[in-house]
Amino acid sequence: MASLQLSNLSKSFNQTKVLEGLNLMVPEGEFIALIGPSGCGKSTLLRIIAGLDEPTSGDVLLDGQWVNELSPRERKVAMVFQSYALYPHMTVFENIGFNLKISKIPRQEIRQRVTQTAAILDLEELLERKPSQLSGGQRQRVAMGRAIVRNPNLFLFDEPLSNLDAKLRVQMRDEIKKLHKAIKTTSIYVTHDQVEAMTLADRIVILNDGVIQQIGTPQQLYNTPVNPFVAGFIGSPSMNFLNGKWEDDHKTAIILKDGTKLPAPVPKSNTHFDASTQNDILIGMRPEHLHLRPAMSEDIQVKGVLDHIEPTGAQNYLKVRVDGQIITATDLQQSQLQSQQPIELAIAHKNLHFFANTAHE
Amino acid sequence: MQNVKRSAHTPKTQTLARLAKLNFLAFGIVITIFPFVWVALMGTHTRSEIFSSPPPFYIGDNFIDNYYKLLEIMPFWLVLWNSLFISVMGTIGAVFFCSLCAYGFFAFEFRGKNIIFTLMIASMMVPPALLLIPFFLTVQFLGILDTHFALWFPAIANAFGIFLVRQYMVTAISKDLLDAAKVDGASHLRIFLVIVLPLIKPVLATLGIVMFIGLWNNFLSPLIVLSSPDKFVLTLALRSVQSLGDSPWGAVMLGTFLSMLPLLIAFLFFSKQIMAGLTAGAVKG
Repeated sequence: MASLQLSNLSKSFNQTKVLEGLNLMVPEGEFIALIGPSGCGKSTLLRIIAGLDEPTSGDVLLDGQWVNELSPRERKVAMVFQSYALYPHMTVFENIGFNLKISKIPRQEIRQRVTQTAAILDLEELLERKPSQLSGGQRQRVAMGRAIVRNPNLFLFDEPLSNLDAKLRVQMRDEIKKLHKAIKTTSIYVTHDQVEAMTLADRIVILNDGVIQQIGTPQQLYNTPVNPFVAGFIGSPSMNFLNGKWEDDHKTAIILKDGTKLPAPVPKSNTHFDASTQNDILIGMRPEHLHLRPAMSEDIQVKGVLDHIEPTGAQNYLKVRVDGQIITATDLQQSQLQSQQPIELAIAHKNLHFFANTAHE
Repeated sequence: MQNVKRSAHTPKTQTLARLAKLNFLAFGIVITIFPFVWVALMGTHTRSEIFSSPPPFYIGDNFIDNYYKLLEIMPFWLVLWNSLFISVMGTIGAVFFCSLCAYGFFAFEFRGKNIIFTLMIASMMVPPALLLIPFFLTVQFLGILDTHFALWFPAIANAFGIFLVRQYMVTAISKDLLDAAKVDGASHLRIFLVIVLPLIKPVLATLGIVMFIGLWNNFLSPLIVLSSPDKFVLTLALRSVQSLGDSPWGAVMLGTFLSMLPLLIAFLFFSKQIMAGLTAGAVKG
């Protein structure tokens, strides 16, 4: 086990900057999820940590030791690939034991450790099979086995579940969580699936365009996103945004395009946003915080017209036209509503998020 | 809709189509095989029988005499060994070094990689006849005229082989596999030997057989390099006895037939791999 520190890490391919000035400290034993949209640089970052790519500038430290120039083997990292990358011509046993064999570990010990690992992952019956004779979930487990058999300093996962079907993904997610609880190896987990990140990680790092947007626990990211990108990325369905301006110079209320008035934001202790310095303001509301009921005290009223309903079984998502755009509200009661019917939604003042509307600057 | 479709494929038309296809294939087989059978048959006849009219299209009884005649006009088994030696050395060398070089083009990123690769491909377009004189001058300069080394050594690095193997690697091996092996702690040499080589067996068999046939049938380079009769290869030896006024055609044909056997055996051995190699990429997703 080891701690990982990235300091001022940057990577460019020719003229294209992929990562820019990254700083991250991962204490020993922590499970970190790296998420962001495709092409945000998360896989590149993982490859740099693994030692498969070199950073253009900046340092990678493992347990306080500078490892920029060490090979993956010298770093003692293990990686699970999105494509599993099992050696097709080797049996499951040989796949799991390959790195032990390279490390010249005695045959007896290899046998013992591979069998032990296989027992943890429920692979004992499959040791003599070739990867082509395994199902997707089994291959995934072999890939995990190959990583844990060597007791690495650091576990790296590169979207390991994205090739599995939805049911298996949930199952494997639980297994990874259990595994981490049992062996407690420092782990970096790359995914584009925010549910995976939220359920697995101690802390989440959100990347966009090669820049870290926010680092925090799943709760922190959900409750106090620092910018519209994080706010929109975390939570499903994603946050609704409405454009607003100050009503007048006194800055006591924000007014939407259609004339709806919202009281000025209550400064939250842990947001970095000072609304009073901005002219254009983005107001964020999570669908699950918008309720289909008249406003009570502490509530804000949002009026609109129902466009259509998206039923999901457990709840309905109401698509409501407000201020010239469609916003989503979660309706747990699954009320009987008609399309084009006027709707009154209520949201608690404390659940409103305010951001600078940089798109208008 | 279904009825209309079905009427176009009645059992009768199906049988006819099958029959036509079989006839076509049979015709192709006969055309391809005839010269070989003809050579084999002529190896059992005397010279006068071969030139009689109509030509004898049956097994004759002069096989033993032709064999002794063959040994008389050339050291047949020595010459066969020479051919075998050159072909085997060149084939093993080419398979190993071409795949090694192809791995370089496949696994490494370096400045000028594409330019070098393109130049290499372009070199395949130079007609071989144009290279004969430079080849002779180089061999002469190196002082390896009249050696077998001059015949198999230059063959072990060739653009075709490198190109063929690299293209196969691109379709058959994912880069993740190389990365996984690196994370597992394997060096590049080990990755090449333990991971890559086993996965490209089909294309190695293809390259092997192509190289073997090429070296076995090679006539021009031995002609300009070799001068001592005891170093001759089959093609050269068989050609050299034909210049006699009274060529012993029966013996020459027997020698020609015997010289085809090693190729036939090699092909039977590797045909499965060769087919797999030539069609690879076509079925891979």
